[in-house]
Amino acid sequence: MPAILEARDLTKSYRLGKTIVDALRGVSLTVDAGEFVAVMGPSGSGKSTLLQVLGGLDRPSTGEVVLDGEPVSTMSDDAATLLRRRKTGFVFQSFNLIPVLDVAENVGLPFTIAGDDPRKGSTADRVRDVIALVDLTGKEDHHPDQLSAGEQQRVAIARALVTGPALLLADEPTGNLDFTTGIDILEALHRSCVERGQTIVLVTHDAKAAAYADRVFFVKDGQLRDEIQLGRRTDHSAAPLIARLAQLGL
Amino acid sequence: MGGLSSYAWRTLAARPLRALLTVAGIALGVAILFAALTTNAGIEATIVRTVGDLLGRADLRVEGFTERGLSSASLVAIGETAGVDVASPIFERKTYLAPDPLAPPAPALQRPVTVLGIDPATYPELHDLHVVTGVGLSDAGSVGALVTERMAREAGLILGSRIALQGTGEPGVEPIIGIVSGDGPLATTDGRTVLVGLTEARAVFGLDGLSRVDIGLGSGATPGAVAAELEQRLTTEPYILSTPEDLAATIRASTVDFKATTALIAALALFGGAFLIFNTLSMTIVERAREVGLLRAAGATRRQVNGLVLVQGLLIGLTGTALGLILGTGLAAVVAWYLDAAGIVAIEEPVIGPASVAFALAVGTLVTLAAAIEPADRAGRISPIDALRPVGVDRTIRARLRWLVAVFLVVAIAGVVLWPASAGGAGIVRWLAVYGILLAATLLTPLLLGPLGTIATVPFRLVAPGSAALIRGALVRDRSRTTLTVSALTVGLAMIVALGGVAYDARRSATSWIAGVVPGDVIATSIRPVGIDEPVQDDLLAAPGVVRVSPMATFEIAFRGIRLDAAAVSGADLLADGRMTIIDGERTAALKALETGGSAIVPAALARILGLRVGDDMVFPAGGGREVNLRVVGVAERTIPGRTGETILVGWPDATDGFGVTGADAFAVRFRPGATAAQREGIVTVARGDGLEASPVERIEGAIDDALSRVFGLFDVLALIAVIIAGLGIVNALSMNVYERVREIGVLRAIGMTRSQVWRMVVVEAGVLGIVGAILGCVTGLLAGQAMIGLGGGAGLSLPFEPDWRTILAVAVFGIVVAMLAAIWPARLAARLSIVRAVQYE
Repeated sequence: MPAILEARDLTKSYRLGKTIVDALRGVSLTVDAGEFVAVMGPSGSGKSTLLQVLGGLDRPSTGEVVLDGEPVSTMSDDAATLLRRRKTGFVFQSFNLIPVLDVAENVGLPFTIAGDDPRKGSTADRVRDVIALVDLTGKEDHHPDQLSAGEQQRVAIARALVTGPALLLADEPTGNLDFTTGIDILEALHRSCVERGQTIVLVTHDAKAAAYADRVFFVKDGQLRDEIQLGRRTDHSAAPLIARLAQLGL
Repeated sequence: MGGLSSYAWRTLAARPLRALLTVAGIALGVAILFAALTTNAGIEATIVRTVGDLLGRADLRVEGFTERGLSSASLVAIGETAGVDVASPIFERKTYLAPDPLAPPAPALQRPVTVLGIDPATYPELHDLHVVTGVGLSDAGSVGALVTERMAREAGLILGSRIALQGTGEPGVEPIIGIVSGDGPLATTDGRTVLVGLTEARAVFGLDGLSRVDIGLGSGATPGAVAAELEQRLTTEPYILSTPEDLAATIRASTVDFKATTALIAALALFGGAFLIFNTLSMTIVERAREVGLLRAAGATRRQVNGLVLVQGLLIGLTGTALGLILGTGLAAVVAWYLDAAGIVAIEEPVIGPASVAFALAVGTLVTLAAAIEPADRAGRISPIDALRPVGVDRTIRARLRWLVAVFLVVAIAGVVLWPASAGGAGIVRWLAVYGILLAATLLTPLLLGPLGTIATVPFRLVAPGSAALIRGALVRDRSRTTLTVSALTVGLAMIVALGGVAYDARRSATSWIAGVVPGDVIATSIRPVGIDEPVQDDLLAAPGVVRVSPMATFEIAFRGIRLDAAAVSGADLLADGRMTIIDGERTAALKALETGGSAIVPAALARILGLRVGDDMVFPAGGGREVNLRVVGVAERTIPGRTGETILVGWPDATDGFGVTGADAFAVRFRPGATAAQREGIVTVARGDGLEASPVERIEGAIDDALSRVFGLFDVLALIAVIIAGLGIVNALSMNVYERVREIGVLRAIGMTRSQVWRMVVVEAGVLGIVGAILGCVTGLLAGQAMIGLGGGAGLSLPFEPDWRTILAVAVFGIVVAMLAAIWPARLAARLSIVRAVQYE
């Protein structure tokens, strides 16, 4: 599989009052197309910062990010935005749906932003497909406040997938959900990976969530401490991952 | 409160721009209020001073009513009335100075002068007359004239110079025997007053009547008792008896509409300021809901939280009010200067008194408190649990629009207090109706937001098909806040549309009035009555291109104890010219009847008020115990304008023989079709040769148009300030939208919305707000304008209502532009948000 995402020696520093904080300290990694990768680490380890830099939401202080052959980290803000629009999808911990839009409109938002009408033609078909993928058919007209937390997150996933992005980035997507709903979300993400060849980078501090990935990067103090190969599995048991982490003393 | 006051201050300081915008909003509102108060006080002071100048030390004034004026018998009767100490007869006429072959020509001598004939024995007892050079008049029959210092300076006159007063017949030549100080005894003549003996003045004009008699009362006499006695004695001729208070009331009446309109605009501007305070406090509560919850969890009582918000409101309100007083002082100076320079209302300078300051302070504070009470109550209802809730605005802390009624009430009370007492009941009903329409529009806004929002997004849907839902969604996200924002804009725009409508209607009425009733293309006016036997009419008729010259004179008559305007006209000329629409009676017969005498044509508006119909008889007192009997031969749609309204038309025979009219004060000159421009211009020279001022009807219409533009221009500027306040409200509301949607905007940016798209989205949202505000503002303004016109009463003309589409379109565009300009800063704020921070924002 060709690499869809490459990070080379990323550093990210920012000022917190009078202190300089090094959030990332020389991180390099590669993600192949169709791969499901998890980034794990404790709170404050820099995993979310890494996801933001990888997704082009933020720029690294030094180093380079290449997304599908394009150097996103050195692009202008507008160019990086257009690249995100074409090639990435984001899922956040807090769902971040637009409360005044219904499900179909929320899912079709990337098309709206691109100037297309998500209610017409092929874009409407794609909206319908991803809504079906996340099992929300029949709820197209519902507004976010009429949905459960799990359903809201599934809408967010559908929105991230609707453009068929090269890379889907998910930041603690199960953080605000109960266990069962969290499993549903992870299953939906995994299904998109298996059935559609979707490349996914998932940030989580939860080993059970990370166990859905093919590969797990462990980040601590802004550095990549380990890389654990789990392989594509139908069984998402977290036991091998937890054992390996214990083995490494992480 | 203690430490919480400091928290209140710091919470406001955390959003300095928002606090500043709000302070600016309330400051502008208070500034208009304070400017209105001090300008009105200045107008009042000027009225008092003017009355003092006019009446001097006189306690009563008896004015002659008809052209003949008061007879000598009346003067005797007045002098013999119990309680009258001094009865000073005065004769006053405007005229030109005839060229004196022995005196050098001076341009200043060619302008009109006012001749004041006085009795030197009594006049100085009631009026100050300081002779600075030469001597005063010795008695009523003395020869010689006094001129003012100003006139002497401007015309190069010295003691011994001769001036010739143009009257009837040969000009009366008078040597100047004295110069009186300053502008002389008449404040309204710009110093162009010539004082001569009473007998001499009457002789020059060939009249034996008096213009007025000023009365000084003896000790112990009261104006009321003397007035009652005079009414018993003066029974043979019509007159007007006034006290200084009556005179002041008459002058005051002419300023009522101005005062009332400024009161309404000030009330609306304050209302806009209240919107801002309410919105700002609401935003603070929404932003700080979790903090307030924490305070409650930590033991702060509901009352303490209420107090916290009220303190914030007062901090903003009092700062804004203080600033408003300073701004208002400057604004009042500008308004006073404009009023005086444009000749709209006489005012020397605004008067800043403790009452004005106290009232503005009180209203500013009350409006602030009224605007803060509801947010304070809402803040108090936030439970400690809110501190533990995840992000998001709880619907329970959204604004409730019941508050609007409270603020409207406070502002209405302020408006009523500010209301000119002399305006009467009808006026206040009119303005309360306008105010009610604006309140109704505001209360209906939340219901109309949805449908209007859909209409308003149509233009943007064409450009960005999918984004309409996003934009429309923003509009209804917080319906109450959007309502408040749109309402402020609606009210401001509605006032401009309404005032524009009234101005448009006034212009239409004035122009159609003149064109419909004046039988000429040019009106040549005279400041003195031109005798019918004088050759002036023949001179004008002989001018090239002229086909008809019709003499006219306006004068005052009394009917059923009411002063009315009348006009002497030539029925034959009106008939030949095709002017004058008769709506009751046969036109030809009615106009011919004017020529034969004993007939009158009554304007429809007056006929309605007086209950007159064709065939009714009217009896007018005409002096000397005589009466003039006229029969109504027609009711005209409109007639010639008089001093205060439309005139009753009478023929020349009745005017001269019955009412003592001595001559025409205007000639309507009609050119034959195809008359050249040179011929039309030439009439000016011919008229000037006869001491007349010729003005084309179009120029008179233009002058009316200019005068109306000056008045309404000022109102528009004041109403514009209300729109600016609304603009500040939009900045506040959109900023609040941006703060509330930080995460949302972050997500939009994350999934591919560029900075410029975000910028555009916020500006377009404001555009939608602007369109909704413009639609509501224009509709409300049309209704308010109709209410202003419809409830106007008086001599209003019954022209069918016609909207001024040009103004409406301009106002609509202006409203949308203001809204979009107001969005620039919030849009910039939104576009510059860091995506990373935004998606993590709580």
